[in-house]
Amino acid sequence: MSVMAEAFTVRSVETSLVDGVYTLSAQIKYNFSDAAIEALENGVPLIVLIKIEVERERSWWLNKEIAELQQGYLLLYHALTEKYIINNLNSGAQDNYDSLHAAVSALGKLESLPILDANLTSKNARYLVRLHTYLDLEALPAPMRPMAYISSQWRLESEWYEWPLQP
Amino acid sequence: MAFTTLKRLFSGAKPIIALILLILASLAMLSDAIHGSTNLDTLFTTLLIINILAIILLVGLIIKNLYSLLSSLKHNQTGSRLTARLVLLFAIMSFLPVSVVYYFSLDFLKQGIDSWFSVRVENALDAALELSRASLSIRKRELLRQTKQISVEFNAIPDELIALSINDIRINLGATELSLLNSQGNIIASSSDESTKLLPSRLGESIQTYLNQGNDYVDLEPLQDASRYAIRVAILIPSADPVGQPRILQSTFNITERINTLANSVQASYTVYRERVYFRESLKASFVFTLSLVLLLSLLMAIWVAFYFAKRLVQPISDLADGTQAVAEGNYQTILPTSGKDELGFLVKSFNLMTQKIAMVTDEANRSQQQLAEQHAYLEVVLTNLSSGVITLDQDRRVHTCNAAASQILGLKLEPYEGFSLNKLSHEQPQTLLFIDMILSHLDNQDKEWQQEMTFFNATGRQVLLCRGSSLPATDQAESNGGYIIVFDDITNLAQAQRNAAWGEVARRLAHEIKNPLTPIQLSAERLRHKYLHTMPTEDAELLDRSTHTIVQQVETLKEMVKAFSDYARMPNIEMQPTDLNAVITEVSDLYRNNDTGCIITLKLDQDTPEIDADDGRLRQLLHNLIKNALEAMQNQDNPKLEISTQCMEKEACKFVEVKVNDNGSGIPDELMGELFEPYITNKPKGSGLGLAIVKKIIEEHGGMIWAENNEIGGASVVIRLPVNKDQQQSLNIDLHDKAGNSDAAA
Repeated sequence: MSVMAEAFTVRSVETSLVDGVYTLSAQIKYNFSDAAIEALENGVPLIVLIKIEVERERSWWLNKEIAELQQGYLLLYHALTEKYIINNLNSGAQDNYDSLHAAVSALGKLESLPILDANLTSKNARYLVRLHTYLDLEALPAPMRPMAYISSQWRLESEWYEWPLQP
Repeated sequence: MAFTTLKRLFSGAKPIIALILLILASLAMLSDAIHGSTNLDTLFTTLLIINILAIILLVGLIIKNLYSLLSSLKHNQTGSRLTARLVLLFAIMSFLPVSVVYYFSLDFLKQGIDSWFSVRVENALDAALELSRASLSIRKRELLRQTKQISVEFNAIPDELIALSINDIRINLGATELSLLNSQGNIIASSSDESTKLLPSRLGESIQTYLNQGNDYVDLEPLQDASRYAIRVAILIPSADPVGQPRILQSTFNITERINTLANSVQASYTVYRERVYFRESLKASFVFTLSLVLLLSLLMAIWVAFYFAKRLVQPISDLADGTQAVAEGNYQTILPTSGKDELGFLVKSFNLMTQKIAMVTDEANRSQQQLAEQHAYLEVVLTNLSSGVITLDQDRRVHTCNAAASQILGLKLEPYEGFSLNKLSHEQPQTLLFIDMILSHLDNQDKEWQQEMTFFNATGRQVLLCRGSSLPATDQAESNGGYIIVFDDITNLAQAQRNAAWGEVARRLAHEIKNPLTPIQLSAERLRHKYLHTMPTEDAELLDRSTHTIVQQVETLKEMVKAFSDYARMPNIEMQPTDLNAVITEVSDLYRNNDTGCIITLKLDQDTPEIDADDGRLRQLLHNLIKNALEAMQNQDNPKLEISTQCMEKEACKFVEVKVNDNGSGIPDELMGELFEPYITNKPKGSGLGLAIVKKIIEEHGGMIWAENNEIGGASVVIRLPVNKDQQQSLNIDLHDKAGNSDAAA
């Protein structure tokens, strides 16, 4: 279980305050399984979702979630141009890569992602950023889904990575 | 609560139909989703879960139904076997065709999917892709050449002026975007035909590295919307200045619409085909899975529906069975729920009609029975309150009914003998023997109506019964008669009172009529004698003397007789008290011990004789009379002997004291025997004929019996039976019962 959970690994998370907005940068190592790569190369688009939550720490009770955002990336192999395309589902921005490696390493770089307006935070409270990334199985074509749900090859996700929110 | 709601929800046809429709709809959507319908694609997992839940629900329902069916089979409930058979039949009927369809569908499915793919198509698609690439690479090279040509122009233009001329160069080149960048990738100048696009496309790091290595970059790139393509060319322009930095010229060209469309088409087809080939097996598996799901759901639904319909079909039948059983057990109120308008419904209606009619008839019968019972009770009340004893017999002479008065008069419980023959009654209750013999004699004589007065002795003493009997008319045609009714009254007291009154009247009159002339007769006779005795000659004087003497004597006798009559009539009221009979006998007999007849009086007294209720004075009078009578009877006897014996006797379950006065005289003449105790009956020259009448009267007053009999060895006996008092009687009964109990135990 833990072995599979390491298919995607969050290497580092950093937050910084830029112009009154907290931004997040992260390094994620995507280690796609053979089955996933095979599917990708056969034209199946893969969607990687990154879930980010900001919580206010509470010593007396469970943490209170104050912000949540989800980043989606579509990874696709374009046969005609022989390029790997990464499409940011949130912004619509598209990048083309000649190799899978280049695409995956580009996918693993999150830079200056605005996550929270500083006005929404209180100086006294402590905040926690949690990050989790996984392959969206629901986005797979229907015939593949039943298999994907039961196969460990397709259980591609990272553990929750926690980082204190710092300016 | 939740369970009942659920139960209500899953009973009835509507939820079943709704569920089936729901399942079918979800199955249809599932199958659609596999085909790749975009709308349903996202719902695939949800649908799958719904269907699996449906399966679980159905399996649960079937297990529940199966369990209840098995338990009802085990308890042998009505209709359970039929239900089981129907369910099995339905299940088999649905399983067989569905299985066949499933088998062939699987086959067709696999073949159908396989037929989508072929090596030729694959090759053709590969070739098309290759062709597209080749065609585009010609175009790429062309554009690279053009860009290279134009790059020369930039060498001639200083950096400051490039911004002014780059647009012209771009238009000249036919590019959609043209930009000049320094070796770090920063834009020196740029131009674009899209006015909205302020920033030129960035140059990727990889391209920059590629260029820095001295290569020219030209490549086809998919644009943002992925259905359009652009060819990007990037070349390194060496600086005219030997120390100057080289610059990068980047141009982007649109490809023609037609080629774009074609390339798109090739790309799309190729991708779809590759994709299909890639998940051909999982597609098959998915179809097989969906089909199996359909099969499983259909089967489960069929089984469930089988359960449902079997139950509905069997319900009226088992209702009928239960109803019939209930009717058989006597419950006629059973009304079955009517079901449908088919033959079963008709049957149920008929059954209900039948039970209603039966219930009505039963009610009627019950009412009649109740009326009968009421009449019977009324009759019973009438009989009970009747002072006369009533016994009815059936034609076989068995006791049919008897009233309380009958039991009271006869002094025993008659109710236990209802249904038993008279012979059994007389056998078990010997005191009724005489009574029953009398009845039986009349029955034997086949008397239609008869009346008889009879006297017998029982626990309460002498009893006079007036019995009337008549045969009852037959209630049934087949019977010759309807039995007999015997009505009897205890007239002991009445008879005695009547007799006493009669005799009292006679005695009073006699006394009155006879006594009055007697004194003048006696006085006249004495005067005659006194006056004429001296004057008459001796012969005549003797005659006179004798005659007057006779007259006076007879008058004296008459007076005594009249006195006796008066005494008889004027007997004071009897005063009963517990009396020791033996003591009285001893006292009275002592008076006669020294009589002039020389009679020997012997007493044989039973010392266990219990006390009797008697009037002491009367008893003495009675004994005087009897002893005197006996002595008179033995006057001419040589060796007169008188024996008085007492004995406590138990006969026919009543206890009495028997006193026997036994003489050895001449005995009683037969002609007198019948009326010995009637007044004026005597064989003695001097008797008034009242002695024994008085004795009898006294005995009757004491509730006793008296009779006389001649002894075999000569002489006569007068036997008196007097009842012992009630306390003694009861103790006796207890003794008797104890004895009977002991004898039973012994037996």
